[in-house]
Amino acid sequence: MARALAATPAPTVEKLGGSSNARSRRIVDRIATALLWTAASLVVFLLLLFIGFEFVKGASTISWHFLTGSPTAAEAGGGVGPLIFNSFYILILTLIFTVPIAVCSGMYLQEYAAGGRFKDVVQFSAESLATVPSIVMGLFGLLVFVTAFHWHFTALGGALTLTLLNLPAMMRVTQEALAGVPGTYREASMGLGATKWQTVLKVILPSAIGPLTTGVVLVSGRIFGETAALIYTAGASVSYGRGAYDFNPFHTAETLAVGLYQVHREALVPDVDRIANGSALVLLVMVLVFNVVARVVGRQLTVRFTGKA
Amino acid sequence: MMIESQSVAAPSIADKMKIEDLDIYYGSFRAMKKANLDVPDRHVMALIGPSGCGKSTFLRALNRMHDLTPGARVEGKVTLDGVDIYAPTIDPVTVRHRIGMVFQRPNPFPKSIFENVVYGPKIHGETNGARLQAIAEKSLRAAALWDEVKDRLNRSALDLSGGQQQRLCIARVLAVEPEVILMDEPASALDPIATSKIEDLIGELKKDYTVIIVTHSMQQAARISDFTSFFLLGELIEVGTTSDIFTKPRDKRTEDYITGRYG
Repeated sequence: MARALAATPAPTVEKLGGSSNARSRRIVDRIATALLWTAASLVVFLLLLFIGFEFVKGASTISWHFLTGSPTAAEAGGGVGPLIFNSFYILILTLIFTVPIAVCSGMYLQEYAAGGRFKDVVQFSAESLATVPSIVMGLFGLLVFVTAFHWHFTALGGALTLTLLNLPAMMRVTQEALAGVPGTYREASMGLGATKWQTVLKVILPSAIGPLTTGVVLVSGRIFGETAALIYTAGASVSYGRGAYDFNPFHTAETLAVGLYQVHREALVPDVDRIANGSALVLLVMVLVFNVVARVVGRQLTVRFTGKA
Repeated sequence: MMIESQSVAAPSIADKMKIEDLDIYYGSFRAMKKANLDVPDRHVMALIGPSGCGKSTFLRALNRMHDLTPGARVEGKVTLDGVDIYAPTIDPVTVRHRIGMVFQRPNPFPKSIFENVVYGPKIHGETNGARLQAIAEKSLRAAALWDEVKDRLNRSALDLSGGQQQRLCIARVLAVEPEVILMDEPASALDPIATSKIEDLIGELKKDYTVIIVTHSMQQAARISDFTSFFLLGELIEVGTTSDIFTKPRDKRTEDYITGRYG
């Protein structure tokens, strides 16, 4: 044993750091790290470039008058106030329909359906629904709400179309939020003699409220920016003549995103570019705000309901 | 085996639970074969055996926790005070109310210490604030945790140490006033000091409760239990008073395990 040890040459510093194989592997490792870092940085760079571009183009348009004023038919100087209002109005209507259905169905799939055919059917339906292009969903809305129901272009029709479009995503968000709750909480609660519903309501939901809220707000950002599904359902004109800020769900309601599409297509105003750039910037900033709010509120709620940072 | 257990239990001790011909399946896998056990009232019954022998599986059958595991199936009879808890007329929720469970890893809810303790009473309908306060204090005292947490009841339970969390989980079980407490290796995730606190606590608890505890440590079984049952490969091999099991086991397999031949 002692001889065997003595026979093995002691490793030298050169031996540890110097073999050409080790050196080339180290170089490859560094190159790989650098490439991956570059790819990740590119994402940040593209975002900043994009925001910067929109700011340069649109910042000069932004004024109190632009944000609150009404669009004009033919003369320059129109605003997008009612369009912003309509965007929020349709978003809230959509959330009123989407959140309860999505949260309940997601909860059923995650907490109640233990395998089985019905779970598969619901899951498959949701996934299929998720792959329907939004313009196709918009045409469906046109056929059902606008034509068959004789509602014409309405905020409600738009919101219901958006509900169909976003149910799968919202359901997925719910399932993922609930799946993140440790199974030990369920065991503990059931072990204390709680019913399934008590466990879900008192333990699972409060524990999942942070990620759930984050998910809901992120989907809200998408709803806010949705265009194709709304052109043929909520319509492409502000409720002229009825007052710009109109709460009637059966009135036409052009959103900011639809307005942006429409202004370049058929607006008669001379300052089309100004309005388009301004609208694009407002839309972009709003969607970014949704993303930031999603993170902040989600974290706050997690701390509030679970005491975890 | 039933005869053995009856012969070793002093005749003055009534049986709190009786398990007869218990079979447990996970899908087609038979995890427990025809287990029979009488559990004396207000004593500590330890379940020992090597990993995978089915002792935890057996324990979870005693308050119908397997109902929550898809694919698990329990056959045979488990009675609490003579009533079969698997009878179709029995609500599993009521069973778990009377037979509480403490798990291997401390699993407090992500709520305050106070909310953790009163969770059980609240879901069973107690709304009176003063009574909830009283239940919380009583349960925390019984779990030997009150002095350590009385000034921070509204702090998150997750800020407590592992040992404190486990005693909190015991307090949470005590708060629903069960008759039987099942413990699944409650000290296996704890350091020696926290472990000894839990063991002292179990000694106190048996004055009022029937305790059935799974442990992987034979020393622990010897220290805390009055009766011991030995499991091997999905079978309950032998039951007896703890001193009998450790000094004069009747079955060769029990003796091999006790003397460290396997496990």
